[in-house]
Amino acid sequence: MHRICFQILMMGFCLVICSPAFSEPSNERVDNSNRLLAASQIDPFQDENLDFLDEEEEADTATPRVADPLENWNRAMFEFNDRFYFWVLEPVSQGYRNVVPEMARIGIKNFFHNLGGPIRIVNCFLQGEMESTANEMARFVYNTTFGVLGFGDPAKNNPDLNPPQEDMGQTLAVYGIGDGFFVIWPFLGPSTLRDTAGMFADGFMDPLYHLDDTAASVGVKTVDIVNSTSFRIGDYESLKSSAIEPYQAFKNVYIQYRTKRINEQH
Amino acid sequence: MSISRIATVLLMTMTVLWAVPVFAESPMASLKKPVEEITKILQNSKMLTADEKQAQRDKIFEITRKTFDFVEMSKRSLARNWKSFTPQQRKDFSEVFADHLNNTYMDKVQNEYQDETVEFLSEEKLSEDKALVKSIIKRRTITVPVDYSVLLSDNVWRVYDVNIEGVSLIKNYRTQFDEILVKETPEQLIERLRKKTEITGIN
Repeated sequence: MHRICFQILMMGFCLVICSPAFSEPSNERVDNSNRLLAASQIDPFQDENLDFLDEEEEADTATPRVADPLENWNRAMFEFNDRFYFWVLEPVSQGYRNVVPEMARIGIKNFFHNLGGPIRIVNCFLQGEMESTANEMARFVYNTTFGVLGFGDPAKNNPDLNPPQEDMGQTLAVYGIGDGFFVIWPFLGPSTLRDTAGMFADGFMDPLYHLDDTAASVGVKTVDIVNSTSFRIGDYESLKSSAIEPYQAFKNVYIQYRTKRINEQH
Repeated sequence: MSISRIATVLLMTMTVLWAVPVFAESPMASLKKPVEEITKILQNSKMLTADEKQAQRDKIFEITRKTFDFVEMSKRSLARNWKSFTPQQRKDFSEVFADHLNNTYMDKVQNEYQDETVEFLSEEKLSEDKALVKSIIKRRTITVPVDYSVLLSDNVWRVYDVNIEGVSLIKNYRTQFDEILVKETPEQLIERLRKKTEITGIN
C-alpha cells in the first residue's frame, strides 16, 4: 500500500517537473529550468521566440542603420573596386610578395604605420584620451629611435604602447557627429560622409601629402598599399565568397567595424 | 515506509534533477576540444587529392555540427523573416545555411591558414544559458580577436554567433537576408543558398 502511494507520488512529482504547463510564465526560474529540461522536446522549427532582437536593442548592440541614398553609385563603385582588386591590386601584391622577402615587407609595414603616429596622437588628444595620447607619443619616439625610423617595432610586445588606433572619423563621432550616409569611393573603398571628412583632415597631417612632388607621393602611397595588401591576400576573396549579397555584406562589415572602433574602451 | 523516507527520496530526486545543468562542461572547454580535434585533422592537409579533401571535410562537419547551433544561427540571421518561413522552410534553410557556413569555413582553414594558431583567452557568463568565449587567432604577422557567443541547450554549450574584430557574423548575414527577402520569397533564398553551396563545394 505504502509502495503504491509512493509510486503515485513519484509519478505526480515527475509530471510536475516535466510538464511545461505547470510552470508559471511570471516565474523566471521555473520557466528557465523547464526550458532546459524540455529543450529536446520543443521543435526548434516551431519556435517563434525572437526575444534576442529586443535584447540587442536594449544592449545597444544592434547594427546602426546608415542611410544609403547613393546606392546606385555605390554599387557601381563596389563593382569597380572589385575589378580593380582582381585585375590589378591582387596580382601586383602577389607578385610583390613573391619577390620581396617577408622581413623587408614587415619592415615597410612598420615604417608606414609609424609614419601615421602623429595623426593618431592628435586624434587621441582631440578625443580627450590623455593616457592613450601619451602612450602613442611614447610609441612614436621609441619606434623612431630604437626601431630605426620605425622599420622595427620594438614597442610591439608592450600592451601599453599599443592603444586603440584613433582617426579623425572616430574623433568626429566622439564629438557627436553621425555617419551621415554610406558612400564607396573608387580605389579608397567604403566610407561614410563623416569618415570621408575625417579622412581628408587626417590626410593634411600625413607627411606624404606634404611631399613637393605629386608623382613621388603617389608612388610612395602605392608602395604602402601594395605592401599592406601583400599580408592580406585571400581575405577579400574569402569574405566575398562567404557573402550571399556581397554589397550588403561589405557595407555591414564596414559599419560594424567602425562602430566597434568608435565605442572601443580605452 | 515512513513519511521522512519518502521525503528523503523526493529530496534526492529533486537534487539530481535540478543539478543536471551544473554538470555541463564550461563554455570554453566545450569549444577547446572541438577546435583541437579539428586542428589535428587538418595537420596533414597539404597536397591532398580532391577525394581526400572531401573526406577531411566530412570528418570536420561532424564536429562542427555538434559545436555550432545552426538552427539558432539560422533563426537569428533571419530575425523577423523567420516568422514568414513555414516550419519546413525553416528546416530546409537551416540545413543549407549550415552547409554554406561549413563550406566557407573549410575553404579558409583547408586552403590558406595552415600556420594559424588559436588561443582561448577567457569566458564570461552572460546569463544562465548564455556566455561569451574570447579567443585570438595568431597569424605570423597579425592577431585577430574572435569572440564566440554560446548558448546552453540540452546541457551542451553551442556557438550561435562568431564575432571577428567587432563584426558579428550573424548580424552581417541578417542585413543580407533582409535585403534579399524584400524582393524574393523564402523558397528563392533557399534555392540561392543551395546553388552557392554546390559551386563552392570543393575547390
